[in-house]
Amino acid sequence: MSDLPALEVDLRLPLDRFELAVGFASRRPVTGIFGPSGAGKSSLLEAIAGLRPAARGVVRFGGDTWLDSAAGRRRPPERRRVGYVPQDGLLFPHLDVRGNLLAARRPRGSGPPREETLATVARLLELTPLLGRSVDTLSGGERQRVALGRALCSAPRLLLLDEPLAALDLPLRRRLLPFLRRVRAELTVPMLFVSHDPIEAQALGDELIVLREGRAIARGEPQRVLTDPEVFPLAEAEGFENVLVGRLAGTAEGLRTVLLGSGAEPVELRTVAGRGPAGSEVLVGIPAHEILIAREPPRGLSARNVLPAEVVELRAVAGRWLVTAALGPGVAPVVVEVAEMTPRELGLGPGERVYLVIKATSCRLYEGAAPAG
Amino acid sequence: MMPELLPVLLLTLKVAATATALVVVPATLLGYALARYRFPGRRVLSALVGLPLVLPPTAVGFLLLRLLAVDGPLGREALGFDLGVLLTWKAAVVAAGAMSIPLVARTARVTFEAIDPRLEAMARTLGHGRVATFCRFTLPLAARGLTAGAILGFTRALGEFGATVTVAGNIPGRTQTLASAIFAAQQVGDAARAGRLMLIALVVGFVAILGAELLAPDREGRR
Repeated sequence: MSDLPALEVDLRLPLDRFELAVGFASRRPVTGIFGPSGAGKSSLLEAIAGLRPAARGVVRFGGDTWLDSAAGRRRPPERRRVGYVPQDGLLFPHLDVRGNLLAARRPRGSGPPREETLATVARLLELTPLLGRSVDTLSGGERQRVALGRALCSAPRLLLLDEPLAALDLPLRRRLLPFLRRVRAELTVPMLFVSHDPIEAQALGDELIVLREGRAIARGEPQRVLTDPEVFPLAEAEGFENVLVGRLAGTAEGLRTVLLGSGAEPVELRTVAGRGPAGSEVLVGIPAHEILIAREPPRGLSARNVLPAEVVELRAVAGRWLVTAALGPGVAPVVVEVAEMTPRELGLGPGERVYLVIKATSCRLYEGAAPAG
Repeated sequence: MMPELLPVLLLTLKVAATATALVVVPATLLGYALARYRFPGRRVLSALVGLPLVLPPTAVGFLLLRLLAVDGPLGREALGFDLGVLLTWKAAVVAAGAMSIPLVARTARVTFEAIDPRLEAMARTLGHGRVATFCRFTLPLAARGLTAGAILGFTRALGEFGATVTVAGNIPGRTQTLASAIFAAQQVGDAARAGRLMLIALVVGFVAILGAELLAPDREGRR
């Protein structure tokens, strides 16, 4: 991981209502920029791509200086080799899908030949059947996949994704998420993405930087950052869910089992959805306020999942508590939202053994099925 | 009837085509500069470019005449040699070109303004420099509008009269175009000849403007 080129940013850029002033250095494969609309996220990405001449400060990537305004150095966008994917795709209307994918001018000797890259990217993003199509005839989801493919075909050193899924409706967004995870898993290109969707942010990011009014207000591991007392109201407004990575297992009595965790004894979660074949990866989303905490295993209850867990941490957020609980080895901790008096009444504290009660219908599955849209 | 009119038609087409060819590149670049860049004097330049549209063509012709006269800034005395333009078909080209610049530049400007500058920014991030971006992305995206503008300029040049007669005269077989031939025929009372010339002008003009019409609109409708 340490051989990934580092991105170093210390930027100031005057915007309409405030000045964007953000500094960070990252060596992680995937860094997310999270924040409400109008926080300056897109401007930050454009400045890193070299598309904002008014940007001042420093941008360095992998030992190259892209911007050092004090020294009067500014590398033009065409020499930064970023793969930029804007919200609306921005496909070239005068080229067909294939023409768009091959639109980049690649420096000599960078990676495999164009046709080979094209074939790889087309397979990864399932674009092969679209290659001869005119871009006018593509659906929203197809357009975004082509835009992503065009960026990947340019042999970028850094991917910049600006809410690549935001222009799509929610179900389609969830269907395209696995494509981004696939890119993340199969390619070694570091990625900086902008999102105001807590689920996307957790599903993709190794770390998250939260932006508000042009300033970074929090930074760290995605789930931890999103449940930070300062950030949580924001994440909640955008639809926060715990995002767990699992594998589909068998079906019994209409319920699909998802196995969570990499340990010898994975945690079994019963859910109502799940169409993919057993063994395929799924993301499970569970809203923090739909999980109950019990000290004893409850009886005579309709909920299908009663999972033993250990309380890790309690944090107060605006009259409520966020309880972080660990389900087992290799499973991301789960955040549960409870009322103000609950921790006192139940005697909750770090290290306490509890049971998490989760309805099968509270578990939303985000699958990697081939998107129709 | 046609053989005697053919030279007039051919000269008219030659003048209009040459004028359009000379005007297209500078007018396109001018239109692009006006559409994309903010520089001091931009509005003044824009007004100057549009000036031939509002001036009487004879005024433009007189201005060109003064420029090219023996004692003018582009005349023999200033340059030390004679450009040999006045009262030749080249003068008709200069006059027609001057009158069609505003149409070509204006259409080019509107065409470029309709192209999302973010598409150009996108091309830059894909490794294309400014010039390559203009040639490989902006121009193809503007192709229809620019062609329509060139046709408009061509039709303007076809019908140009006032400026042309001022600098090129109305010499049969040398500088007489459709417009000036119709005027000459009507002046000597040859209504039949004027009518035939008018029909030719009608057909040529209609074909050209129909071509521009077919190219200009509906982005959705294509392909």
